[in-house]
Amino acid sequence: MQTLKLSFSYQNIVAGQGLELAFAGMTIVFTALVLVSVFVALLPRILSVINPLFPETQLHAGPQTKRSDESEIAAAIGFALHVRQRGN
Amino acid sequence: MEILVEFLSTTAVANMSGGNLMMLCIGAVFIGLAIRKDYEPLLLLPIGFGCIVGNIPSIASMAVGVYDEGSVLSYIYFGVSQGIFPPLIFLGIGAMTDFSTMLSNPRLVLLGAAAQMGIFLTLIGALYLGFTPTEAGAIGIIGGADGPTAIFLSAKLAPHLLGAIAIAAYSYMALVPVIQPPVMRMLTTRKERLIRMAPPREVSQREKIIFPIAAFLICALIAPGSIGLIGMLFFGNLMKESGVTERLANTARTAMVDIVTILLGFSVGCSTQAQTFLTPQSILIFTLGALSFAVATACGVLFAKFMNLFTKNKINPLVGAAGVSAVPDSARVVQMIGQQEDPNNYLLMHAMAPNVAGVIGSAVGAGILWSVLVG
Repeated sequence: MQTLKLSFSYQNIVAGQGLELAFAGMTIVFTALVLVSVFVALLPRILSVINPLFPETQLHAGPQTKRSDESEIAAAIGFALHVRQRGN
Repeated sequence: MEILVEFLSTTAVANMSGGNLMMLCIGAVFIGLAIRKDYEPLLLLPIGFGCIVGNIPSIASMAVGVYDEGSVLSYIYFGVSQGIFPPLIFLGIGAMTDFSTMLSNPRLVLLGAAAQMGIFLTLIGALYLGFTPTEAGAIGIIGGADGPTAIFLSAKLAPHLLGAIAIAAYSYMALVPVIQPPVMRMLTTRKERLIRMAPPREVSQREKIIFPIAAFLICALIAPGSIGLIGMLFFGNLMKESGVTERLANTARTAMVDIVTILLGFSVGCSTQAQTFLTPQSILIFTLGALSFAVATACGVLFAKFMNLFTKNKINPLVGAAGVSAVPDSARVVQMIGQQEDPNNYLLMHAMAPNVAGVIGSAVGAGILWSVLVG
């Protein structure tokens, strides 16, 4: 079992370059995520240029979308109303 | 009779220490929290049972425990000690994550960055308490509120603290609904908590496909140490969004991530043998871990308030608390606190943006610490 040498001291932070490490680390994390954020913000504009040149085509196995039950019900209700109105 | 006495001396009962008994109780508490309170049951249940398994004493000549070379548990634990499981979990997370809300409101990404201050402030705290820089880096990553990332980095920087760090990270992730709300309420006014945000715009499929590739390149070029985690995260997401590998994405987000979660949780639990786990370091790690979650939450909330000084479309500062990762629990907490003030204010979708940005931020943070402290 290991024992801990308790030596609470600001000197430990200085010796371990804690402040420099924290500052550099936060700067790099922010840089990475700011660049991601900027790219995401610019993406619609980039696509507005690219899309006319390379229009989106149907993929050979596109995202699977389930037909909504609600749309089927709405279609059935619409058809029933249509038939009823014609009958009147 | 002699054989019987000899056998009795090898039983777990005869070799049970007070520390082992305490860990058995802790394991039982974890299982109780998972079942009764529904706190992160997918993690706390395997960890809790692993805790019990790992604290049954065995005789020295038998290779049974995770630290015994050649034991079955040591082979399972290999995935933890060598940092194999965390990237596989990230693959599954990527395959189940929808980045749409982040893509529709890119400024919220910055909240995910701000909350990572918890990592680096905890690192400073750990250094102050006398931990070595590598140990402090491994402890600091608890502030990222991301279990796989914490395990990945501590396996690289301080393997001897892995058990305590993993348990601290996952325990506090389970306790997000307890730790975050007081900090969020303390740092915001009622008026701020009532802010309603504009609904997110619709994101095209092409944006969703391009994003994982571009974001990976940006992050990996800046912090190559994060390639293992970030690469798998975005690869999983690309499989999901491409639409042509639905089978692979489905396997990654269901069967594969479940298998890895079982193995990771159980083997981490088994690694908490009293002899290695019940140390003064563990107590300090748990204290620092709780502080790091609170600090990370505070940084996210305060940064959202800071952004509001310059932006026209105000951000509800509660959303900043979701920057601490802990997907999706911290986003749920934001929704819960927001709805306590205004039941018709739906912040969940907005909170998911800093939440997933926090996952990227903590992985980048881990990559930086790994590069700087080991490289």
